[in-house]
Amino acid sequence: MLHAAVLLPFLAAFFIPFIYRGVKQVHLGWFVLAVPILLFGYFLTFINGVLKGVHTLKTFEWIPSLGVNVTFFIDGLGLFFALLITGIGSLVVLYSIYYLSKAEKLGHFYVYLLLFMGAMLGVVLSDNLFVLYTFWELTSISSFLLIGYWYQREKSTSGALKSMVITVFGGLAMLGGFLLMSDITGTTSIRGIIENADLIVNSPLFTFILILVLLGAFTKSAQFPFHTWLPDAMEAPTPVSAFLHSATMVKAGIYLVARLSLVFAGTDLFFLIVSGFGLLTLCWGSYMAVRKTDLKAILAYSTISQLGMIMAMLGFGTKAAILAAVFHILNHATFKGSLFMVAGIIDHETGTRDIRRLGGLFTFMPITATLALIGTFSMAGFPLPILNGFLSKEMFFKSSLHFEHASPIVEAVSPFFPYFAVGGSIFTFIYSVMIFFRTFTGKQRDTLEKQPHEAPIGMLISPMILVALVVIIAIIPDTFGHLLLAPMVDSVTNLVVDPHIKFWHGLYNPELYMSLAVLIFGTLLYMTRTKWVRIYDVLPGKMSAAKVFDALMNGMVKGSEKVTNIYMTGSLRHYLVYILTFFIALLAITMSVTGGFTLSFDDLAPIALPEVMIAVVMAVAAFGTIFMNNRIAAILVLGIVGYGLSLLFVFFRAPDLALTQLIVETVTVALFLLCFYHLPDLDKEKSSSGTKVVNWVISISVGVIVTLIGIASHSTKMFEPISDYFIKNSYKLGGGDNIVNVILVDFRGLDTMLEILVLGLAAIGIFTMIKLRPGKKGGNE
Amino acid sequence: MEIIMSVLAGLLFTAGVYMMLQKQILKIVIGTALLSHGAHLFIITMGKLNRGKPPILAEDVTNYADPLPQALILTSIVISFGVTSFLLVLAYRAYQTNGTDNMEKLRGNDHE
Amino acid sequence: MSNLVILPILLPLLTGIFLVFFNSKLPLVRMITKVMVIINLIAVSAIAYEVVQNGTMVLKAGDWTVPYGIVLVADPLAMVLVVTANIVATACAFYAFHSLDEQRERFYFYPLFQLLIAGVSGAFLTGDLFNLFVFFEVLLIASYGLIVLGGTKEQFRESFKYIIINLFSSILFVTTVSFLYAVVGTVNMAQLAERVGEVEQGGILTTIAILLLVVFATKGALFPLYFWLPKSYTVPPTVISALFGALLTKVGVYSILRVFSLIFVYDLTFTHQLFIILAAFTLIFGVVGALSTNNIQLIVAYNIIPAVGYMILGIGVFSATALAGSVYYLVHDMIIKAALFLLVGAMAAYSGTSDLRKMGGLIKHQPVLGWLFFIAALALAGLPPFSGFVGKLLILRGAFEEGHYTVAVIGLLTSLLILISIIKIFIKGFWGEDKLEKVPNISIRNKIMPAAFLLFFTVLLGIGAEFFYPTVQSIGDQIIDPINYIDSVMKE
Repeated sequence: MLHAAVLLPFLAAFFIPFIYRGVKQVHLGWFVLAVPILLFGYFLTFINGVLKGVHTLKTFEWIPSLGVNVTFFIDGLGLFFALLITGIGSLVVLYSIYYLSKAEKLGHFYVYLLLFMGAMLGVVLSDNLFVLYTFWELTSISSFLLIGYWYQREKSTSGALKSMVITVFGGLAMLGGFLLMSDITGTTSIRGIIENADLIVNSPLFTFILILVLLGAFTKSAQFPFHTWLPDAMEAPTPVSAFLHSATMVKAGIYLVARLSLVFAGTDLFFLIVSGFGLLTLCWGSYMAVRKTDLKAILAYSTISQLGMIMAMLGFGTKAAILAAVFHILNHATFKGSLFMVAGIIDHETGTRDIRRLGGLFTFMPITATLALIGTFSMAGFPLPILNGFLSKEMFFKSSLHFEHASPIVEAVSPFFPYFAVGGSIFTFIYSVMIFFRTFTGKQRDTLEKQPHEAPIGMLISPMILVALVVIIAIIPDTFGHLLLAPMVDSVTNLVVDPHIKFWHGLYNPELYMSLAVLIFGTLLYMTRTKWVRIYDVLPGKMSAAKVFDALMNGMVKGSEKVTNIYMTGSLRHYLVYILTFFIALLAITMSVTGGFTLSFDDLAPIALPEVMIAVVMAVAAFGTIFMNNRIAAILVLGIVGYGLSLLFVFFRAPDLALTQLIVETVTVALFLLCFYHLPDLDKEKSSSGTKVVNWVISISVGVIVTLIGIASHSTKMFEPISDYFIKNSYKLGGGDNIVNVILVDFRGLDTMLEILVLGLAAIGIFTMIKLRPGKKGGNE
Repeated sequence: MEIIMSVLAGLLFTAGVYMMLQKQILKIVIGTALLSHGAHLFIITMGKLNRGKPPILAEDVTNYADPLPQALILTSIVISFGVTSFLLVLAYRAYQTNGTDNMEKLRGNDHE
Repeated sequence: MSNLVILPILLPLLTGIFLVFFNSKLPLVRMITKVMVIINLIAVSAIAYEVVQNGTMVLKAGDWTVPYGIVLVADPLAMVLVVTANIVATACAFYAFHSLDEQRERFYFYPLFQLLIAGVSGAFLTGDLFNLFVFFEVLLIASYGLIVLGGTKEQFRESFKYIIINLFSSILFVTTVSFLYAVVGTVNMAQLAERVGEVEQGGILTTIAILLLVVFATKGALFPLYFWLPKSYTVPPTVISALFGALLTKVGVYSILRVFSLIFVYDLTFTHQLFIILAAFTLIFGVVGALSTNNIQLIVAYNIIPAVGYMILGIGVFSATALAGSVYYLVHDMIIKAALFLLVGAMAAYSGTSDLRKMGGLIKHQPVLGWLFFIAALALAGLPPFSGFVGKLLILRGAFEEGHYTVAVIGLLTSLLILISIIKIFIKGFWGEDKLEKVPNISIRNKIMPAAFLLFFTVLLGIGAEFFYPTVQSIGDQIIDPINYIDSVMKE
């Protein structure tokens, strides 16, 4: 049943194109909507079990012999994410029905969306490392397709590529970490690995593993400096941004860190990296968001910043921090989801998302404005008892103040954390306020393409539900804490937590003053923002992660072009020089390392004068070819080498060879002559002296090396050759006196048959080369 | 003797490789022919030279030259013959179609 | 029973010879080719099934006592590769009917094609080192015939380089066999394994082993011996590129795998360490080449090289897991390379150019082609759940287990770069603005079908890995402990 649930989106994705083709009157989204709603209902039924501590585990054997099984596992953490994915998914699909008109390629859109939904469910429910990885990459791929949905736009495709490159990079690093973890613990099950966590923590590879796995998490969750893909991903349709790039997919990295907290947490390294990068991302994201003017870009940087905040809390690792983290995951999904939808509405109804052109929309779209008001103020952490963002922000402040495990490093670093927390939050306050006031209040600054008006009710339903949740969660946080958060904290820390969340902690709490500081400084800085905006010229100035990424990609392409052009010259001589140089170097090294060269004068045939004389003639003739400028002479000299060889065969008791060589040589020479007749005469070698030296060095080295190996081989005969058998049995079994012939036609008849085949093939080749001339234009196909 | 023959084979390799490194198609083809000769010389040398009688069974002879390398060479000679003739015709056609017998002018653009 | 072993060689061989004589009747030739590739595929699958179930089959050609005659050894490794080669051949045959111009078809494409398959199958099956040389020559000269088929300028230019470099390695091959014969006194691979094992592979044998490595690495396109490959694989018609890309280099890789797991396994610290270093460079330089160009066929051709790197890495790591990974990857790569060549061939045929800078928006006109290409690209990069993932996972798992961290990380990074190089074709060719001046009035359905047929296996090998993996793992176990191979040859 659980498998069927995860499979359902995939199945639906498969059938969507058929429905799309068959049913034209009804918006495709209505059919799709059934999937997440059904699944949401289904996952709700697990809450009761999880509260009682019952963890559902279902296994489907995929590649059992590799230890790769589709094992789905529902505990507090998995269930929460499953509900988040299907819940937000339902709202997003509903919203998309009004956002995307029927003129769009809805078939594609919903197929990708359903693929993503299935993959994301797979990520958060898998117990098997490699299945998790499979779904993980599938989320990257579906995200790639969704960002590139409007594929004619250059920006969409480059954004799609960027997100894929960065997230797949992280995924591969993570795969490396997973491989090491499963090697060390001997299991591919996450639960199994958690049980054997000490093996990993004590392994010498711990640092390596941690970095690899965190690369996966950080790239996916857009942590600094990998965050750069997220703003570009905003080219996707807004429902996608709301769903993938704020509420769910970007939280996969958060999920992974949370899931593996029981393995890594408690080590200083984990604490340093995760909290450090988390806080850095928090500050950088909110700082950069203030600078942006496109509503979706502000929201993208805001998402980066909020993800950093959640990551930091996971890094803190205390019970209170984890509770705050999981609470904020929920809260962020509600207010950020609604804000993305609001941004979509504004874009849809006014034709722009640029806050420099917007303003005064409150009068035209009061409902949207109200929703935005609640969303932005919740995000800002404005101290009102109806804003869930305030509650989790306070918990964040509080958790940045108290650390349980006291190692020297923690003690040394942690006092700085509250400052980062407050600093990041001040900027969060600024851009939140900015979104609302610059869009909805004041005067309209520009004539817009469309006359702004309130969105259709269908588009408003989803953000309304989310905003309602913002308020409800703030009013009854304990219910959510009890039902969802406590089981999650249990999964992440193995500790039971009292999920009591209060609005008012009394006057003597440092977090209250931190909140007030945010409020005051935030307001002040917002009012005076024109005065200090030039700071952005200094930091980041001309630097940005996007530029680094572009430079890397460009450099890679340019660099590879350069490198490849240097050696892939198309010159046969160059290629041969490389190959032969490698040959010489490799064999020289091998011989000297292995002591391969031996020289033995035993068992040699006596030196006879005629043979030596022939040898000298052959050698002279061979080198003669090099210096011949007359083609006929060159061929004749080559013939001398061939005929010399056949004479040698006579001396070496090989009459058959001698005969064959004689015939073949004659025919070859004839052929050479025939061909050369059509070719230009030989030139005198006109190469530079450098080239000549290289040629000589290489050819002499090759000669020396093969000679040495030949002599060494001959000097180390280790076994009797098998040929005695041929001598003994040639007549008896082969019925022939000529042993060589018997070998050829009988013992090794297959070789001979094939050699004839080679001749035949050569003949066919020659025939086609001569006869087949390309038509007027010799193109392929 | 085997050592002298190995050296000779090595010399044939040297000359062959040198020719292969030239620009003109003809020279390259000659180079491959020299290499083949060198290889065949190696094969026969790797059996035992000058030992016994030619491997044709005769009464009262017990000591024959190793017949197997000879058989292998025969196969190899025929194969090289096929390849060499193919190469020659290719050389001729390549010259005819491309209008040059200089391989350095036949680099082509690897990135076209 | 064991006579069946000759069939994978004999069927295409006889078909090829037969087709030479009926060459003028093109419809008949096509018909026979169609029927025979399918019969052959069924036959080799049946033999492979038999071998996997009941163990290695050995055919002594002419029934001569081992090691004096030539043996053909159908062990699971060889048969798996023969089957894969025939799957590729079937797809290519059907692609040929719809892509080649009649002239080329008439000038003996089909006989050359059949004999190439015969040579490839023979090279996988033979248990005799000299016979391996002869089969190499058969497949090479068939490939020479194919690469010049059509006689265009580019073909003559590039094929000359291709042939000269291969010729050099062939001459080196036969020389090396003779050296080996001098030292060990035999050319039968099983007996070589026994005898080399008895003397524990002294220095000279390692030197000879490295000579053989150079020979096979040149055919297998290892760093730094692959220069002849990229361009020469893009000049002949698509179907020939697909055959070459899928089969030829893999024969080289197979030979390395066979020789360095069966015979030369007594100086692993030198030879196999060398493999790992070469693998690392092959991965890097291959993918760098793939990133460097905008020619779609060249991108695919360059991508042959890093794939070879992965396989050599598995051989270098030399554990049962990694070797199984190499075998899995070998099968995967034969299929995916053929598929990719066919797909980009169809793209080029449709848009009239191979230059990515002149393409765009094809997905609007050819959605099926586009999505098939997308799947192929993911499979090539080794993303799950396609076939490349399983092989890569095994190889990298092996590498990590044996402590080769650096090269494993290079392997991971390379697969990202492979993805970038190949997804570029999707983004620039299928996405983007429509750059077709007018929609060509040609149907490429018949070109898509063979590629789809191949991709079916890619998906099957990925999602249905459980059907194949146990077999491949047992092949890996047999490779690392080749006693089974030696016994089944020597004890007959």
